[in-house]
Amino acid sequence: MDVSNIIESLKLIKPEIAVSASLILVLIFDLIFHKDKKLIPYVALLGLFATGYFVIHQFGTTGFGFATKSTFKAFGMVTVDSFGTFFKLLILISAVLVLFFSSFSDEIKKTTDRLGEYYVLIFGMILGMFLMVSATDFLLIYLSMELLSLSSYVLAGFTKLRDRNSEASLKYVIYGSVSSGLMLFGISIIYGLTGSTNLYVINSLIQSPQINVLALSFALILVMAGMGFKISAAPFHFWTPDVYEGSPITITAFLSVASKAAGFGLLIRFIKTGFAAMTLNNGYWMLNPIFDWKLIIVILAILTMTLGNFSALWQNNLKRMLAYSSIAHAGYLLLGLAVFSNQGIAAILIYFFVYMLMNLGAFLIVMLIADKLGSEDVDDYDGLGYTSPFLGISLAVFLVSLTGLPPTAGFIGKLYIFSALIDAKMFVVAVIGVLNSVVSLYYYIRVLKHMYLVKPKIQPVEIIPGLSQKFLVLLLVVPVLFFGIYFSPIVELAKNCVVLLGF
Amino acid sequence: MVNYIYLTVLFPLAGFLINGIFGNRIKNEKIIGIIGSGAVGLSFLVSLFSFFQLLGMPAEERSVIVNLFSWLNIGALHINFGYLVDPLSIVMSLIVTGVGFLIHVYAIGYMHGDKGFFRFFAYLNLFIFAMMNLILGDNFVVLFLGWEGVGLCSYLLIGFWYDRKFEKGTVSQAAKKAFVVNRIGDFGFLLGMFLIFMTFDSLNFQDVFAKAASFPVSETTFSFIALFLFIGATGKSAQIPLFVWLPDAMAGPTPVSALIHAATMVTAGVYMVSRTAIIFASAPVIMTVVAVVGLLTAFFAASMGLVQNDIKKVLAYSTVSQLGYMFLAAGVGAFSASIFHVMTHAFFKALLFLGAGSVIHSMHEEQNIQHYGNLKKYMPRTYITFLLAALAISGFPGFSGFFSKDEILWNAFAKGNFVFWLIGALTAVMTAFYMFRLVSLTFFGKERFGHEHHPHESPAVMTVPLMILGVLSVIGGYIGIPAIFSGENGNKFEEFLKPVYENAERKMVTYGTHTHFEEILLMALSVAFALTAIYFAYVIYTRRQEIAEKTSAKFKGLYTVLFNKYYIDEIYEASVVKPIQTVSEKFLWKIADNKIIDGVVNGTGILIEKSSNVIRKLQTGIAQFYAVVMMVGIAVVLFWIILSL
Repeated sequence: MDVSNIIESLKLIKPEIAVSASLILVLIFDLIFHKDKKLIPYVALLGLFATGYFVIHQFGTTGFGFATKSTFKAFGMVTVDSFGTFFKLLILISAVLVLFFSSFSDEIKKTTDRLGEYYVLIFGMILGMFLMVSATDFLLIYLSMELLSLSSYVLAGFTKLRDRNSEASLKYVIYGSVSSGLMLFGISIIYGLTGSTNLYVINSLIQSPQINVLALSFALILVMAGMGFKISAAPFHFWTPDVYEGSPITITAFLSVASKAAGFGLLIRFIKTGFAAMTLNNGYWMLNPIFDWKLIIVILAILTMTLGNFSALWQNNLKRMLAYSSIAHAGYLLLGLAVFSNQGIAAILIYFFVYMLMNLGAFLIVMLIADKLGSEDVDDYDGLGYTSPFLGISLAVFLVSLTGLPPTAGFIGKLYIFSALIDAKMFVVAVIGVLNSVVSLYYYIRVLKHMYLVKPKIQPVEIIPGLSQKFLVLLLVVPVLFFGIYFSPIVELAKNCVVLLGF
Repeated sequence: MVNYIYLTVLFPLAGFLINGIFGNRIKNEKIIGIIGSGAVGLSFLVSLFSFFQLLGMPAEERSVIVNLFSWLNIGALHINFGYLVDPLSIVMSLIVTGVGFLIHVYAIGYMHGDKGFFRFFAYLNLFIFAMMNLILGDNFVVLFLGWEGVGLCSYLLIGFWYDRKFEKGTVSQAAKKAFVVNRIGDFGFLLGMFLIFMTFDSLNFQDVFAKAASFPVSETTFSFIALFLFIGATGKSAQIPLFVWLPDAMAGPTPVSALIHAATMVTAGVYMVSRTAIIFASAPVIMTVVAVVGLLTAFFAASMGLVQNDIKKVLAYSTVSQLGYMFLAAGVGAFSASIFHVMTHAFFKALLFLGAGSVIHSMHEEQNIQHYGNLKKYMPRTYITFLLAALAISGFPGFSGFFSKDEILWNAFAKGNFVFWLIGALTAVMTAFYMFRLVSLTFFGKERFGHEHHPHESPAVMTVPLMILGVLSVIGGYIGIPAIFSGENGNKFEEFLKPVYENAERKMVTYGTHTHFEEILLMALSVAFALTAIYFAYVIYTRRQEIAEKTSAKFKGLYTVLFNKYYIDEIYEASVVKPIQTVSEKFLWKIADNKIIDGVVNGTGILIEKSSNVIRKLQTGIAQFYAVVMMVGIAVVLFWIILSL
């Protein structure tokens, strides 16, 4: 690796550098102003905006960074392309929103003395996620996933207000280390088979007939299990409800959107760069026939969304319900991947954008209500729609959107996923997906039933959000409605971002 | 200005949002009224400027597409949210915004003091918004969006006084009837759209019409498309067999009747047929169907109008009848004549309704014309303007209705046949008769109302729109003077619309030529008929009421049939509604729904509930268990891979 390579490569990771710099900056600020922590959120926000500048600048830039061997100079550990940049933008927007959430959250306010750590760890997560979506080398894949995981383990039990916080954190650690161990095992087998950790190199080597297919499949399943853990696909999803319920709601929201986005970005890139022989003219991928990719992903997807939806049906705790719902959404997203075409990837990108808005929105409202009500139980929402019309209607919009009904953006997301399936002639799968949405309607609308139709036993509390809170809610409600009608901008953006560097 | 045509849509939308969201906080009727009517007024100005800009262009370039954004891009379906500005759409938008503006202003006075004042204006603006989408849309999807939108507004506005009684039922029942009957038509329209997409792979007007003109598509396909579209039109434009909702729609406030159920929305069907002229022209059989349905509707509705006693009911049947004329014109291929009649009809029918509203207003909601009389003494402005409109609709020479109706009758003869003309002319006679029966009973003769009534002229905010519409009802026809009067210039209105129908004209077979003499003769005949009818109606209903009573006693059977609207409602009730109800109740509800569907649904629900309970228990909370399941999952996948190797 020569110096010019390093300099060229550094230019490609400006956003990551900005995130690291912000991390350090927040850390230093925390040390200097340890009496008054009010400034820290602003510093963090500034860091995010600076990162945002570099991310937006990166759109259209493509390149490989940090080549491992001079013979394969073209292929590095990091790949920068619009696909990755789209995910970085997604992660960044949700980070900004979560930052605002945190400034309203009572849970976080109660831990002022450790506020610095909170933001430092969030930046750690962001850095991990940024690297995840652009990693094309097993070393970096593993490292970035660990960076994300370790930061989130701590954040999950950050508040220490209740027992369940620590429980969440501990379960996350146990489960996370098992899956990361499995993944590492898989990686080492692949390294043994091919002698390389670089996905591009692996791609060219596994074409040869000498590779033992059984061993490779075994290793691949293990690696994918590790990634399945991150996107909480069944049967690797069990940690999700416990961790989501136990974590501070801001972290739950962040995990459910950003962490999942990073996991998907990694999984898609892993499959495409490592195992796609070529992309056909009509956008479909030719995958290396190690095993039946399509069938495995379809089964995973169906299992994931069915388990998610069915378990969500009887949840009384809204946070837990949203946790299961986020599992179900991972299932829909996997359907988009199962098509193995650029069209499917575009659908995933569209879905993620929409999912970010509506899921964060739903968590925000639940948080605002929980701060006043001290409860996340749906029974305590009785009659709330009338006493707090603003929050009630906003939550209704988000839930309707999560169900996927027009005229909300959620409908557009599902529409593109299902039309990608129809285009690939996967009709049965599409029907199963639609039926799953029907099931999901039940538990989303149940919340509305409680808010509007159930007679409250006691006079419900009147919750009047502050001006800035109202503004933040509107910032999410308006796009959900707007993009439900005028969605060509996201569709265009997504279509421009489906091309991954590689094969 | 043409490129800013979307403003005509945005202004009413803004008005709707402002009044709808903040209306109950504004409270001040004046401000709400100004916002509501101002929005439409601004739209009218934009339309007007666009119209003049369009006039300035060469005739063949007068078709501008204003593309707002790409809306749906899924598979083979590409729909832009775009507007088409051409002679047809600009004429329609001038009518809708122009007449709409006047009616909005009028409504400020009419709705004064109503508890739903802001809601009313919000709905009216929403209606204009939807209607403009319908007219301006450059593809079937945007048109359909508007089509459904106006249907919704119509429902909301018919049921505006939802807590009041209407005839035998309630206002909300009337609104529901309008909605359900319209749905039947919409279903036809949707089928037509699907068939168009199947045949032409597009829903864009330009593509579809270009392909319709050149593609080798069978006449059967065209006939089905045209038939389905026409079914849609009969729903919205109240034609046989779906006209029954319009008389009941009179349950809404009078400005609504004027705007939606006379001047604009009900002409949407005529507009749609006219817009898709090329498709209809390619299906001669359906063209005849359109003409015959139009003719029969015109005739029967007019005959029902002869004996009605509710002032708004008379006008409602008159509207149905006049809409029939428009379809007659379209059916014989005289599309521009039908649009011409849409325009003149918008002027005089809006005026008639607003005048009726003014009368109802001053008579404290009394709508029975048998309880009016000699109102000209109390409300001179209403009287004069109402008289002008009545003359216009009766086809009095020189008034707007004369030109448009004559154009239609002449085309019915020239492009159709003598029977078409004869029935059309008879309808015109009946029109003149029932209109002047109405005028005589209302404004002339003895006062037949009690002393508790103190009729008075309406305020200026209501009478000024009446006067403007009065002027338009008189002179509105002069832009479409037939060629035999205006000489070399020909019919300007027809000339303006001509490019829109070029392809359609080419497809239609023209029959032999006709002489000017024939045209003059037929015109003179119909005028003579109309004048006679006016005279008799005046004499009978002002001075010699006993004639009317004797006649109705003599033809008691016929009178009862007419008075009960040929028992159409009863026939529908007995042949469609009752059987459906019975089958619904006895079979669909009690057996199919309660047992089968509910059984399946509840069964699925219980199944899901049960399985959900099982699945839920997987989440034990024990981390070791999770890890085991994960391992088992991996093992199963591996096992399966080994087996499939």
